[in-house]
Amino acid sequence: MLSGLHRSRWMDSRVGRRQFLRAGGTVIALPALEAFGSPAAPATGPRNFVAVGTYLGWHQNAFFPKQAGRDYELSPTLAPLADLRDRFTVFSGLDHRAPNGHNAWNNFLCGMNPGSWSLDQMIADSIGQQTRYPSIELTAGSGEGPQAMSFTKQGVGLPQIDRPSVLYKRLFASEADRARTEYLLASGESSLDMVLDDAQRLQRGLPSRDRAKLDEYFESIRAVEKRMERQLAALDEPAATTTYKLPDYDPITPNLQIEAEGILYDLSALAIESGQTRVITMFLHGLGQVFSLDGRQLVAGYHGLSHHGNDPVMIRDLVAIETAHMHCLAGFLKQLQDKKTPEGRTLLDDTIILVGTGMGDASRHSNANLPTLVAGGGLKHGSHVAVDPKQAGAPLLGDLYVTLMQRLGIETDRFSNASKNMNEVLL
Amino acid sequence: MRRTRRLLSVAVLAVMASVIATPAAVQADEPATVPQHVGKILAGTCLDCHSGDAPEAGVRLDRDRIDWGDPAQVDLWRRVVEVIEDRRMPPPDAEPATQADREAIVAFLDPSILAHTSFGGTPPRRLNKAEYETTIRKLLKLPSFHLPVGFPPDTERHGFDNLAEGLVVSPAHLEAYAAVARDVADELFPPPRPAAKPARWEAGPHDLALSFSAATIHGDALRLASRSVDIMRSCTWPSRIEMKDSGTYAITVEASQFLSPEGHRFEGPMKLEVYARPVSATDRSKVTAFRLLHTIEVTSEAPAATTFEGELYEGDTVLFRWVNAEMTHEFEELADQMEAWFRDDPRLLAAWQQAVFPSGNPGRPETARLRGRNGWDIVSKHWADPALDLREATMDTKTSKKLLEIWRSMASTTALADALCYFYHERGPALEIHRVAIEGPSKTIESPRDKARAAARRGIVGNRKDGQTDLDVARGMLASFLPQAFRRPVSDATVESFLAIATRHWDEGHSFDEGMHLVLRSILVSPRFLYRCIEPADATGNLDQFDLATRLSYFLTQAPPDAALVDLATRNRLGESWVLRREAARLMPKKPTDPLIRSFVGQWLDTKLLPGIMPDPKFNFDDEATALARQETETFFTEILTKNLPMQTFIDPDFTFSSIAFMQRNYGFTPPAAKEAKQPLSQADLRKFQRLAIDRGGRYGGLLGQAAILMATANGVDTQPVIRGAWVLENILGMPSPPPPKNVPALTPDTQGAKTPRDLLAAHTQESSCAICHARIDPVGFALENYDPVGRWRAKWPGSNAPIDASGTLPDGTVVKNPVEFKAWVVANIDLFSSCVAEKLLTYATGRVPNYAEQREIEKLVRANRESGKGFQDLVLDLIDSRTFRAR
Repeated sequence: MLSGLHRSRWMDSRVGRRQFLRAGGTVIALPALEAFGSPAAPATGPRNFVAVGTYLGWHQNAFFPKQAGRDYELSPTLAPLADLRDRFTVFSGLDHRAPNGHNAWNNFLCGMNPGSWSLDQMIADSIGQQTRYPSIELTAGSGEGPQAMSFTKQGVGLPQIDRPSVLYKRLFASEADRARTEYLLASGESSLDMVLDDAQRLQRGLPSRDRAKLDEYFESIRAVEKRMERQLAALDEPAATTTYKLPDYDPITPNLQIEAEGILYDLSALAIESGQTRVITMFLHGLGQVFSLDGRQLVAGYHGLSHHGNDPVMIRDLVAIETAHMHCLAGFLKQLQDKKTPEGRTLLDDTIILVGTGMGDASRHSNANLPTLVAGGGLKHGSHVAVDPKQAGAPLLGDLYVTLMQRLGIETDRFSNASKNMNEVLL
Repeated sequence: MRRTRRLLSVAVLAVMASVIATPAAVQADEPATVPQHVGKILAGTCLDCHSGDAPEAGVRLDRDRIDWGDPAQVDLWRRVVEVIEDRRMPPPDAEPATQADREAIVAFLDPSILAHTSFGGTPPRRLNKAEYETTIRKLLKLPSFHLPVGFPPDTERHGFDNLAEGLVVSPAHLEAYAAVARDVADELFPPPRPAAKPARWEAGPHDLALSFSAATIHGDALRLASRSVDIMRSCTWPSRIEMKDSGTYAITVEASQFLSPEGHRFEGPMKLEVYARPVSATDRSKVTAFRLLHTIEVTSEAPAATTFEGELYEGDTVLFRWVNAEMTHEFEELADQMEAWFRDDPRLLAAWQQAVFPSGNPGRPETARLRGRNGWDIVSKHWADPALDLREATMDTKTSKKLLEIWRSMASTTALADALCYFYHERGPALEIHRVAIEGPSKTIESPRDKARAAARRGIVGNRKDGQTDLDVARGMLASFLPQAFRRPVSDATVESFLAIATRHWDEGHSFDEGMHLVLRSILVSPRFLYRCIEPADATGNLDQFDLATRLSYFLTQAPPDAALVDLATRNRLGESWVLRREAARLMPKKPTDPLIRSFVGQWLDTKLLPGIMPDPKFNFDDEATALARQETETFFTEILTKNLPMQTFIDPDFTFSSIAFMQRNYGFTPPAAKEAKQPLSQADLRKFQRLAIDRGGRYGGLLGQAAILMATANGVDTQPVIRGAWVLENILGMPSPPPPKNVPALTPDTQGAKTPRDLLAAHTQESSCAICHARIDPVGFALENYDPVGRWRAKWPGSNAPIDASGTLPDGTVVKNPVEFKAWVVANIDLFSSCVAEKLLTYATGRVPNYAEQREIEKLVRANRESGKGFQDLVLDLIDSRTFRAR
């Protein structure tokens, strides 16, 4: 077991390498950021990926600009992003040709087959392995139990963190928390030998076919052991610290969604800045919560508004919520723009942000024509790319994902039902 | 392995049974000569295609001798028996084989195959998710334990999630097991917690949650209107307050009455209930899920503060509900109120008419935009409009009737009632909350969770007796806990090796609890805990007594063996037939929610798929209907099992479980009980889920007429005869079809209506390679075409509007014209169905698909069950007492 003495000596020797960055009033102490740098990531391309998805979609008429091309007029939902106009591209006419309905919502990152290996997990499996957290899954306004947006290669829906305090602890664990984690890992590893000895005694008495079946167990144990060793080694790295102040409660109920969203974005920016993860997803749930925005109580709950029946007042308030989401996003993008990597590049150029949904039109439960936006990543931005899905050979949303993956240094030429790319638009 | 059910006559099986009885007739492991008469039949019917160096499908049958010692040969001839018995061979375009020829081939092959197939062969089988969860609950005495979100799901094989073959172990599984082990150890041996710090929280109206239409803010107060039990429609809570420590707190609430001349009158005090609600609870909770702390009587229109003491637990906040509000969300009660109100106020009636039917057409209600305050804004605008059109505003018009019909439907809850709330918010009576304050804790308390933790710890570690050392206590705990965890006695050496984990940890300076924490974590990742039945078989190839107890217990209860079973196993008594049957009867499920019913029926009949099917809105089938459909089938199964009814009951019963309302609405069928009722039935009577008598031989009733199964075999939008046909063959008749070839496109229904499904499927019978399977699948699927995707009867195909032709030729040549005749055919051949269920049950129980010898045993048991006039429970007991069940 590693003693506390051992670690503090180690920290003393490295403390001079720490960098202190100051941005937006928040100070974070970075543990040797370059140590996290993935050798696989291309020197020029972006290294991080963030995906944001709304459960109830984005009202299409307010999201999609009327004109295509570079000279489009900002749509109402996109208005909060006006300052960042040349930092993002908006897409219409893209989808995965996935089934309709709420149940197929997770086509957003999974493609044509909801519940299959999601884009963010493909990216995490490829470029997230060197960081402390291969990926981080977040949700704002949940309070609703499981609702996965990200799926592993094996089709396991990943749980989402809804409490800012939990994310904060993971990123900026106190000394006591780290000591506990280390204790659990180290003691668990030491007792594993005893369990394995006993298991091997058991295995020896079995016929060969059964022994082969138990080999699954032994192989898995060995893989877990390796992982524990890596985690233990990572604990020896000095911890990132921050002056960021959380509220003394967790805004986890649906009515505090916008508040939670802002905090989770702040922490996400810090997570990327401190190099603790390269891949973050944020799920924006929608239930019956009635928001008060700009001092005005909306005329119905979020979910009720999404079934607007084309009533102009209902649509107005639905768009008000979606605009509030965009305000939060704009704040996040601006933070990324203000922060710099050690090489002097902005974090916005170093991060691809995909904003979308698996629901094209919540009013009709249609999953076609998914509102989509891509920001950052040093891509060629500033346009509204209007795709006509009826045209032969029209690109799919998966084709856009192929371009994003390639840009992140992943060698692939297909995603779900898509096998082309949209390089000509973004590169 | 493929399974088939036999369509051969009972006579042949009887002949074979006599052969089985004389094993001496079989020369083991000697290459057997194919007798001349069989050789001649094979040459005449099979060898045209299945001979030479490039035989059809790689199946070569031109042999004079069969080497029964070669497992590949046994497998080859087993397949021959299967395709001959269920008449897939010879193919339709070849010369058909006579019944006598078929029987001769089978009579020759069967005894040898049987003699060379041994019972058993389940590989080590890890606990599946559900079994693992119950095992943790029982073993650690943590009844409310739930697996964490993101726990790896199980892989399904042969339709079940508990087959050894599918239950793989991956690093993700072991990490999940280790995480659960850590959480559980934390529950029993919690790390020390910091002392509670008293604090004060305050919340104004803007810190209170607004959910759906439950509340609105007016000035410095929040108004509540409804008394619904659904918290999201009636309650509010300060969502920025969450207790960090369980304790006694002083809770202050400042509230007042809101009344106005435009609103209704309200007499007496308003009763404000204050509950403790975990912040993390879903907003879809009912108020009954929470703890009532106090009821405040709000008596004045001026704000008044009340302070009381209440116990709040870690993670709680408070929740408010005005329990005696006029406004309800119970749609029937609400509809009665609205009817009376409309009678009194034709203008209000007209306003709602305008709001709900903006086009003026009572056939076209538009309620989506009426959700929430927007709805009330629209209604009240019309209400105040001097030019309001009152022509339809009497109670007897079509528009009024249609409007009340909508108020009487469940859909009114979400749209109309939520809009109506704002009448009360704006005009009263409403209950106003101005301020909430919580201060404390004045003293800390043990929450129920703390108490459960302590009890669980005592249950496992026991109480320390005077003079006992740590080592004594730990050894005592392991001696009793390890056999429970591993479901069998453990040697002293095993106890000592786990004890060494603790002693070594103590030697490193850790506390007693830390040592036990580590031991527990280690036990819970041992393969002896995670896998069941991994001990080698006994000399006869059977499970030993403890593994038999384990198999029986997980099969019937999805849980580890109880003390009685362990005791019988210890005394070596469980293997005795009568003891095993008695114990099985004791553990047999008693009610539809028991794990075996939910899990087995859900997977066998695919009713678990129902929540994922979204019926097209045109079927008017909501979540409640889906739940009821599932309940129908599960209760029906339970009744047949617990009452030990004959197997035919599954197909053609004289009863059903449902509600009269659902039967009328979904099946278009009024059960005799409703027809014979002397007085009109109340809503409660109509909606009561009950056992209802029906006539045998009708369209409805039985598995094949139940909504759950007709839904599970469709997609919520349309039906596909191929899918239903293949499903019935696999799950009702036990004649599964091979998977379809990859290059065949899915059948897209012709929405133009030019062709019926029958026209579209005609191609299946034209090409021989398709016809082999589709000649069996399609007629069975067509026989159920009269049932739409939610199980309603229909006479015409949608789209083409052509009358449905449900006729077809079944595998044995019988022609049926409709579902009723098809059901009669299944009843006449009930052994097919019984063997199918029996095989599914044993697959689920043993974790492997029964092999040839085991299938033969099952058939024997099924036949004996029918011939002796016994019931389903008898059959299940016979299956448990079978060689197949006992074999490892």
